[in-house]
Amino acid sequence: MENSEEKKIEQKVMTEIKSGRVKLRSKFVFLAEKLGIGSAFVLSALFAVLFLALTFFYLKSSDNLRYLSFGSRGFFAFLESFPYFLVVVFIVLIILTGLILKKSGFAYQKPFGRLALVLAGFIIVFGGLLTWAGIGERIERHSLERRPIGNFFRPFLQQGFGERNNGFAGRVIKVEEENILLQAPWGEVKVNLSKLEKLLVEEIKVDDFVLMVGEKNGDSFEAHFLRVITGKEPPLMRHGIEQRFPLPPAPNGENFEPCPNCFPPRQGTGTCPGGCQ
Amino acid sequence: MTEDIAKLSDEEIVEIVREKDQEFYSEIIRRFEVKLARYVRRFVSDSDETQDVLQEVFIKAFRNLNSFDLKRKFSSWIYRIAHNEALNHLKKHNGRIVSLNEQEYKIIDEKLDLKKEMETEADHGQIKGALARLKEKYREPLILYFFEDKSYEEIGDILHLPTSTAGTLIARGKKQLKEILEKKYGKQ
Repeated sequence: MENSEEKKIEQKVMTEIKSGRVKLRSKFVFLAEKLGIGSAFVLSALFAVLFLALTFFYLKSSDNLRYLSFGSRGFFAFLESFPYFLVVVFIVLIILTGLILKKSGFAYQKPFGRLALVLAGFIIVFGGLLTWAGIGERIERHSLERRPIGNFFRPFLQQGFGERNNGFAGRVIKVEEENILLQAPWGEVKVNLSKLEKLLVEEIKVDDFVLMVGEKNGDSFEAHFLRVITGKEPPLMRHGIEQRFPLPPAPNGENFEPCPNCFPPRQGTGTCPGGCQ
Repeated sequence: MTEDIAKLSDEEIVEIVREKDQEFYSEIIRRFEVKLARYVRRFVSDSDETQDVLQEVFIKAFRNLNSFDLKRKFSSWIYRIAHNEALNHLKKHNGRIVSLNEQEYKIIDEKLDLKKEMETEADHGQIKGALARLKEKYREPLILYFFEDKSYEEIGDILHLPTSTAGTLIARGKKQLKEILEKKYGKQ
């Protein structure tokens, strides 16, 4: 480069600096930027953990995975009740966390693939721990009690309570010749049993809790396969039902509802008369 | 005073500019102007535009001087600013330019270890074309490696890549560049 050109740039830049038009940005601006990016990263990672825990909670406490016990016949019911909203939000948060990590340049010297693996591992482990600690139950309770935090999560926890076309779970409130009347999360549903191909229990009684796959037919539901859920099976699949209708004690005298006042949740009686032991 | 300044490292001068005397920034400009101009010219062919980009680089570097970590290498930091500015300029002008001079064509010939017949037949336009045909992710580290004599670590710092990734990209870039050139010469 020509000397005159060198001088030109040096002069131009130094003139701008001396005139005060170009100033050093304060250290605190950069500190605030770093803190902001750091906070955004931590928040998005924590929310990813929380949403993973809520997804796990939904899967273990709802009827969703149960439909797979019907084999391929339960596949559409499984798809219909899958927590897409929770999973999509979780994936978006994971991507956001990764993007913040990549764009911030905090850790560019480490291979991104390895960092992503560590991040995914952290989120899965902590998501699992929070699920184990019963955070899902707590958030759901807050949501039902319309507390501020619960209100935020309410839209995410509402999924699965809507009307279904391929399969649902509910409590039997009336038994007729070819029909049964069920209490489902969205209301009472008449279920036609005439096309029932396989009944996994001999008899359906009032207050039984049943899970079925089939198809919606007008106002009623035609059940093709049906199972009665017994007290021996995990009670968690009552999620969504138990929140709306208090369940009667199981036939053997035990009530499998999680004690609402205990944390982490334990199986106790519905009102916890004996405390949380 | 000039002699004293010359003894100071880039990082020491930056510290003085930040804490004591902003006039010392002219020394930074003097030290990096030629190097950065040469680097920016790889992306920006027009001389006036190069000057504009360079001026923007020095102004941006000054404004953000407080964000520079004194434990790191200043040259890598300012090269990164130049790199980003040059790429922004390219995006604005939708260009994909690789400008090389006579001496630099020789450097490529030497560093790629092209076959004898290829060296003699080597057409500078073809080397330039081959470099331009490389993917950006290979071209950028290769330019820093070939013409700026940067180490893998410095290239990693400038491009925000792990050092090992910078090494891998350079090795693959060299291989691809050689293949492109050999293919071209082979057909002639």
